[in-house]
Parts: sequence; C-alpha cells; structure tokens
Amino acid sequence: MEKPAAAAGTGAAAKSLSVVLRDIVQEYPTPGGNLTRVIDRVSLSFDQPGINMLLGPSGCGKSTLLHMLGGVRPMGVDTPTAGAVLIDGVECHGPHDDAVMVFQRYANRPDLTVFDNVAFPFRLKLWKSLVPEVEWRQRVAEILKAVGLSDKLGLRPAQLSGGQNQRVALARALVLRPRILLMDEPFGALDAQTRDEMQRLLIELYQSWPCLVVFVTHDVTEALVLGDRVIVLSTQPARVADDFVISEERPRSASWQRSREAQALEERILEQLHQASPGKGQVRVTV
Amino acid sequence: MIEFWNPYAPLASRQRRLLGVGSVLALLLAWSLVAASGLVSPTKLPAPWDVLAALSYLSWHEGDSMLLTATLWSVGRLLVAGMLVIVIGIPVGIVMGAAPQVNAALSPLVDPFRSAPVVALLPILVMWLGIGETMKIAFLFIGAVVYLIPMVRDAIQAVPQSYWIGARDLGATPWESIYRAVIPMAMPRIADAVIVAFSVMWTYITVAEYVNARQGLGQLIQNARRFSAWDQVFAGIIVIIALALATYQFMVWLKRRLYPWETQQ
Repeated sequence: MEKPAAAAGTGAAAKSLSVVLRDIVQEYPTPGGNLTRVIDRVSLSFDQPGINMLLGPSGCGKSTLLHMLGGVRPMGVDTPTAGAVLIDGVECHGPHDDAVMVFQRYANRPDLTVFDNVAFPFRLKLWKSLVPEVEWRQRVAEILKAVGLSDKLGLRPAQLSGGQNQRVALARALVLRPRILLMDEPFGALDAQTRDEMQRLLIELYQSWPCLVVFVTHDVTEALVLGDRVIVLSTQPARVADDFVISEERPRSASWQRSREAQALEERILEQLHQASPGKGQVRVTV
Repeated sequence: MIEFWNPYAPLASRQRRLLGVGSVLALLLAWSLVAASGLVSPTKLPAPWDVLAALSYLSWHEGDSMLLTATLWSVGRLLVAGMLVIVIGIPVGIVMGAAPQVNAALSPLVDPFRSAPVVALLPILVMWLGIGETMKIAFLFIGAVVYLIPMVRDAIQAVPQSYWIGARDLGATPWESIYRAVIPMAMPRIADAVIVAFSVMWTYITVAEYVNARQGLGQLIQNARRFSAWDQVFAGIIVIIALALATYQFMVWLKRRLYPWETQQ
C-alpha cells in the first residue's frame, strides 16, 4: 500500500492524483433470491483537486459509489460486482489511507469530548506511527480553530447542535489531510440556515486544504453552489446522465444563483434526470 | 396531580417516594393487623415485631453478631463468583458479539442455559466438585454467567454499525474498530448486564449455601428453619433483600458516574 499523503505533510496533497472508476457494475441480492443491478457501467475519472458533486435521486446508488471510493463495504457484499476502482493506477480493494469519509449521520462518539473525537484517528496504530504526538496535537488545535470550535474542546456531542456536530466530523476528516475527501450527503439532515453555513465553511476549508472532494447530494441547489464539476446520475440502475463543469468562482453569490446561467443549469439537470429515469426517485431544489 | 393513564408522565420524585413508602407501610400495617388479631398462628406467620426482635438477636447476642459473620461470608462468595463472572463472561460475550462465527458456534451452548433449571445442576456440581467452597462459587458463577454472556453479546451487537464503519474508514484494523469504537459504546449496556448478574447471584445465594454451609445467610435461614424459628427465617430473607437492593442501587449509581453520556443522547 502506498504511503498516505499525510506523511509528507501539507502541500503534497495537491500533487499527482488519479482516481478512476472503471466500468463499475454493482448488483445486490434481493430477498427473493434474484440480483438487482443498482449501478450500471459507471466510468468516471478525477485527476485534480476540486469539488465534484455526485447528484442523483435518493436511493440511486450514489452513496454506494462513494463507499467504493473509500473502500468501505457496509453491506457485507463484494463491491464492485464488476469493474475497478483505481487510485494512482492501483486497484483498490479495501479501506485505504488516501480517502476519508464524512457521513450524513455524523459518527461522533458520545462518550468523547470534541477534542478527543477529532484526535480519535491518532489513537489508531496507523496514524500513531505516521504522525508524532506533538504534531497531531497542533493539527487538532489548528483544525478545530478553522471549523470554529476552539472554545468547545471539552464538550461532548450531546452538548452541541447538529451543525456543530457536523463540524466535528468534518474536522476529524480534514485533520488527516486526506488527498480524497468523500462526503455522503453530509448536510442532508441539517436545517436550511445551518446547511448554508456549513456550505460556506466547506468552501473556506477547501481553499485552505485543497483536495479531491467527492460530494454526494440529492439537492440540485447544493450541487450548483458547491461544485466545480457536477455529475448527474440516473436511478435504478445508476448511470451517468450528465457531467459538466461550473467555472463560476466560489463563494457563489445569491445573484449568481438567480442568474440565467444557474437557472439554465438547473433546468438541464432536471431535464436529464427526467429523461434518464422518468418517474423514479426525487431530487430536491431549495430556494 | 398528573393524569392517570399516561405512562410518559414524569412523576415528581417526592410523589414517587411518597407512593413507594406508602405501599410498604400499608403492607407492614396489614401484616401487623393480621398478626395482632391472632387469626394466623405465630408459628405460620411471625409478627413484624417478632421479626424485628429476631433481627436484633441475630445482630448482637452474647458478644457475637451471627448476622454480620453470615453476611460477610455470603458477600465474600458473591464477590468471588462475581469477579469470575466479569473476568470470564464479559470477554466471551464480547467475542461472541464481535465475531458472528464465534457466536454461531457458541450460542447453542450458552443460550439454552438461560432457561435451564440451574438449581437442578446443584447435585451434579456436588458430585463433581464436592461440598466445599468451590462448588458454591461454581454454582453462583454458572447461574449468573448464563445471563451475562448473552446480554454482553447483545450489547455489542446493538452498537450502530456506523461507529464500526467510521473507525474502519479512518484506518482502524477490524479489531481496533471493535475495541476502540464498538466496546466503549457498548459499555453502559455491559454494565447493565453486570448489574443483572449480581441480582441473579443474590437470588441464588441461599441455594448455593443449602449444602453443607457452616457460614452464610443461606445457612442462617436453613438453620433457623430447622428449629422452626420462623421469625429468624423472615429476618434472614429481609436481610438478603436489603443487601440485594443496596448492591443494585450502588451499581446503578456507579454506572451513571462512569457513563454519564448514555442518558444525554
């Protein structure tokens, strides 16, 4: 296995990066004993830092794709059924150190303080051997400051709001300085105002620690606000329905969001989804 | 006053205590009345004051406290058996909960014992281990561990998968995910299992001390019964109930101190 980028320190994260999904097919056994195909020959490649939005209706298999990139297998089934995930040209089979995931249900530990939640990875053999204690303590302090939780170090998750908990989860991922940051509808459970704040925070953090972000969402507006690139997936099974770049600089103003360009993109996405899988699944458009 | 058929209504602790103490007093009153009326012969139902007198006799008589000696012996046996239950039962339960293969292999051996007549094992234990302390400790151990192991296993399996996946994703080995993420999250429920195990052992203590005990609360009751000293039998039972209750309260308090985050979720 390749040494994680974190060992080399900041800056190196941006260099030479290649993540390829090649002809991914995923099938799951149904209770009836048949196989159902949830992902059908999806090929994508990413070769530079950027925020890439995987947009599709709920239940379309976009989270499954993301889990594949992270090497996480929650279902206990072999993933992918066919095709390959290649990171820097090496086929990836299990969890790897290049990618860190942020889940919708923040996996914060209720028994640990904010500090210990963010420092959690450094208690593991892998990171303990890679990052000396002096350095990780400094990194934890730095990232907690960046996400605005410096004054909450000693609190436990139950004493924090939903947004603050998601900040903890984000900090725990970024403290490892991953080359690949995988986000699985991280802001989906938050209220509209908190979601706006978190999107702004993500943009700030990305500017400080640019990496390859793959961000799964079913929110068209979120995709347009955050994405350098938007990949639209159809549902049942998931195929790439559209794939385009947004060059507008972030943070994207409210007036840009109301602009003709943004409106046209939104219509294009909805049109693509409708054509690819009429009547199946839902996406959300927030106003 | 809170409406009646509402299981979700929070009862003020003062009111709860009042109702609890009230019903205990009512029982004592009914008992006293029956005893005083002479409807039931004192050889069948000793009066509360007779039980109280027996309690004081057992506590201090001729420079010796039979009750204290008996209690210390029983508590000692319980603690030794309890340590064994914890040291052996918890790891076995954790391994069963964490590895489905081990669970599949061991659960047919463990689970049926929950409904097995553990008391019927006593003669077998006497045959194997004799009539000394080993047999008594082994009996208490078996009686409690068959409850503890499945409860610990269930506690591990009840931890949401996301904690395990989250740790794996951050680079933990499978075992690290278990002992760094899953076990800490299961601790409050494992503590519940230990509390149940101690309650079970208190109910079995008299049985364990049934055979050839020279000391202990079970022996004290057994001995009193032989002389038809029903007031002392009652006194012994009340002491065991009080000790079991005190153990329970202490362990619940300890659990809250150790895992305050459990109730905050």
